[in-house]
Amino acid sequence: MTVTEQQNPLLEGLRIRRRPDPCLLVIFGASGDLTTKKLMPALYALAVRRLLPEHFGIVGAARTEESDDEFRERMKKAVQDHARDPFDDDVWEELAAGMHYVTLDFADDKGEDELAQTLTELDRERGTNGNRVYYFAVPPSAIATLVQEIAERRSAEGWVRLVIEKPFGQDLHSARELNSLLQQSFEENEIFRIDHYLGKETVQNMLALRFANGIFEPIWNRQFIDHVQITVAESIGIEGRAGYYEQAGAIRDIFQNHLLQLVAITAMEPPIDFTADSVRNEKLKVLKSLHTPGPKHVARGQYGPGFVEGHEVRGYREEQGVEPSTMTETFVAAKLYVDNWRWADTPFYVRMGKRLARRETTIAIQFKRAPHPPFEDGGSELRPNVLLIHVQPNEGVSLAIGAKAPGVGMTIRTVHMDFLYGGAFREGLPDAYERLILDAMLGDPTLFTRSDEIEEQWALVDAIVALWQRDRPSFPNYPAGTWGPAASDELIQRDGRSWRRH
Amino acid sequence: MSVEALSESSWTGEDATIAQIERELARLRIESAGEDAQPNLRTSVMTHIAWVPAQWQVAAEETLAGMGERHPSRTLLLVPRPEKDDGLDALVSIRCFPIGNRAVCGEVLELELRGRVAEAPASIVLPLLISDLPVFCRWRGEPPFGSSELEQMVGVVDRLVVDSQEWDELRYAELAQVFDRTAVSDIAWRRTESWRFALAREWPGIADREIEVSGPRAEATLLRGWLSARLGRALDDITVAEADSLAVKLDGEEVPRPRPLYATPSDLLSAELDQFTRDRMYEQAVETAAQASNGV
Repeated sequence: MTVTEQQNPLLEGLRIRRRPDPCLLVIFGASGDLTTKKLMPALYALAVRRLLPEHFGIVGAARTEESDDEFRERMKKAVQDHARDPFDDDVWEELAAGMHYVTLDFADDKGEDELAQTLTELDRERGTNGNRVYYFAVPPSAIATLVQEIAERRSAEGWVRLVIEKPFGQDLHSARELNSLLQQSFEENEIFRIDHYLGKETVQNMLALRFANGIFEPIWNRQFIDHVQITVAESIGIEGRAGYYEQAGAIRDIFQNHLLQLVAITAMEPPIDFTADSVRNEKLKVLKSLHTPGPKHVARGQYGPGFVEGHEVRGYREEQGVEPSTMTETFVAAKLYVDNWRWADTPFYVRMGKRLARRETTIAIQFKRAPHPPFEDGGSELRPNVLLIHVQPNEGVSLAIGAKAPGVGMTIRTVHMDFLYGGAFREGLPDAYERLILDAMLGDPTLFTRSDEIEEQWALVDAIVALWQRDRPSFPNYPAGTWGPAASDELIQRDGRSWRRH
Repeated sequence: MSVEALSESSWTGEDATIAQIERELARLRIESAGEDAQPNLRTSVMTHIAWVPAQWQVAAEETLAGMGERHPSRTLLLVPRPEKDDGLDALVSIRCFPIGNRAVCGEVLELELRGRVAEAPASIVLPLLISDLPVFCRWRGEPPFGSSELEQMVGVVDRLVVDSQEWDELRYAELAQVFDRTAVSDIAWRRTESWRFALAREWPGIADREIEVSGPRAEATLLRGWLSARLGRALDDITVAEADSLAVKLDGEEVPRPRPLYATPSDLLSAELDQFTRDRMYEQAVETAAQASNGV
C-alpha cells in the first residue's frame, strides 16, 4: 500500500464535524417572511459556528425588484433583528460576500435564464462545483413551474437538492401529483420535504428519551399507558396570512404535518439504526396504521372575539381578508388509534388551534393508575403518572409522580420532576431551520418527510374532511383565549378522561 | 454567552462540618426560590472539583466564572492550606439563573483545607459528590506526583484535567502512570487542536518532510510527541524549540497559522468538561513525549 492510499493517521481522535460540500443555496421567495425571520438567521448561526461549506454562496430570487446591495442590506437587518447570536461584522462580511439577488418572475423563462447564468458565474467565482440547494419558500402554485425550469437547466456537473416547504399539496390527489412531478426529474434522495418540527431539538429528544433510556421502552405500550395527549396550541391568530389560511385551515396547516409527525415519533417502533430510511420506515408504519373512529371523535372550531394574554382580539371572521361567513376551522381535536400490537385500544387525543389560551406544544404520556393504592384515603388525590415532553416553549421533560407529603399519616401528593434543556445545557438551542438547512446541504434526509409519509398523512386528512361535508357547525364556537370549543371537551370526556389541566 | 445571575446567596462557616455544609446548602436552595414561588431547579451534569493551591486561586476563580452557566454542576473549589492549623472553612453559595419563569441553580463550595485536612481531601470530597454523575477534577499547577492527596483524588474522579503549561517541569512519564486509573486531559493539548487539524490537512506530504515545531514548551512538546507517534517517525527526527506561540515548518516552509478554536481559558476548560472518554491520542503523545528527558 502506498502512503497516499493509507488512512490519514493525523485525523484519528480529532472531533471532526462533517462539513457540507461547496454549494450555492438558491432561495425562491427571498422577499418573504420565512427568509427574513428564519432562513437568514439560521444561515448566520451556521456561519458563526463555521458549519457552512468553505466555498458557499446564497442567491435570493423573488419577484420584487432589488439589487444585490439592497438584498444584502435587507438580509443584514434580518440577521440583526432575528439571529440568536450577537451580530459580528466579520462573520457577516464573509457571508454577505457570497450573496446575490435575481429578480425572477416564476413563470418567466428569461428570469430563469438569468438565474442560471448567475449561478454558473458564481460557480467559477466561488468554486462551488455546480452543487445546488434550491429552497422553495414560495406558494405551492409556483413550485411546479420552478421544478420544471430547474430540471430543464440541470447541468451534469454537481448535485441538486430541492427543499420544499409546506403545504405539500392540498389533499391526497394534489400531493400525489406534486410527488409525481418531482420524481419525474429528481430522485427521492434529492427531494427534502421540510417539516420544521422534526428539526426541533425536543422532537429529536423524544427519540433519545425512548431509545437511549432502558426504563421507558418496556412500558411504552398499551399495557402501561392509558392514553396519549398531544397539544399544538398557538395564542397568535393568522397574522395577516388570510389568503393561505382560508385554503388550509387548522387541519392542513398543523394536523396534516406537524401533528401527525409528532404522533408517528411517539408511537413508532425502535428503528434498527438511525439512517434516513430506517427511521422513516418506522414512522410510515405508524401513519399507515392510524385511524379515527368516526365523526363523533373529531371536533372542529373557529375562534370568535375574546381576550388573549389580556389583550382584546377580533374573531377569525373579522380578520382582514377573511370571508365574514367562512367555515374554515381554526381548531381541530381528534381521537386517533394506532392499530398495531403496541397501541391497540390506546387513544391518542390530539388538539391544535389558533388563538388558544397559550402557546404550547406538548406530548403527554399518561400512564395507568396504580392498581391498588393502599393508603388511608385511597390515594384519591393521587393523579396518574404523566411523562410530559415540552416541545415548546420551556423545552424539556417532566415526570409527574406521587410522593408522600411531609407530616403524620400517609398523604400522597403529585409532584413534578423537571428536566429543562435550558437548565442542563445552557448553550442555547439551535433553531430547527439551522439543523434542517445543514442536513439538506449534507444530503441527510432523516429529518425530512418521504413521499409515502406525506401521502399517508393526506389520506387521513382526506377521510376527516370527507366527514365534515355532512354537517355545518355553528361558527364561531370558541372565544379567543380559551382552550377550544365545548365539543373538544366532550370528545375526551365521553371516555371518562379530560384534557390535561394547565 | 454570559447570562446574568438572577440571584446569589451564600453562607460562610469556619471549622465547618460536612453535615453543616449540607444543611446550609439545602437551606440556601429553599430560600433562593422565594416564599410563594415554585421551587428552583437544581440541575447538574457533573461534580466539578478544582484543586487550587493558594497561588492559583485568582486565576482559578476567573476561569470558573461563567462555567456554572455552561456546565451546571456542584463545584468544589478545594484550597489546600497545609501550613495552617487543622480545620475546614467553607464558603457555600447558590447561584441561580433565570430560565423562563423558573430559575436553575448551581452550587459552589469553596473549601479551605487547613493543616492535616489538606492531606485527606477524599474524605471531604466523597460525601459531597452528586451521585451517579461524572466527577471532573481540574488540578491547577504541577500535580505532586506520588503524593497522598493526588493519589486520593485520582481514586475519586472520572477525569483529571491538568494544564502542563503550568508545570515547572514536564513530568509526562509520571503523568502517564495515571492513565490506567482515570481519564486524563490536558488543556495544553487542547490548545494544539487547531494545529492538529491544520497538520492533518498536510497529509500525506507531511509523512516524509522535515518538521520543525516551535512554541510554548508543553504545547510544542506534545505536538512533537503526537507527530512522532502518529507518523511513526523517531522523536529526534522532529526538531522542537521554545517560542511564545506555536508554529510549524515543513521543509523550512511555515504552515499557515490556523484560527484558534477556543477564545478564553473558560472555553478551553469547557471543552475538556465535554469529553467523557479516554483520549488515546493524547496518551500516545504524552508517552512518546516522555521519551525525551524534559521536552523542549
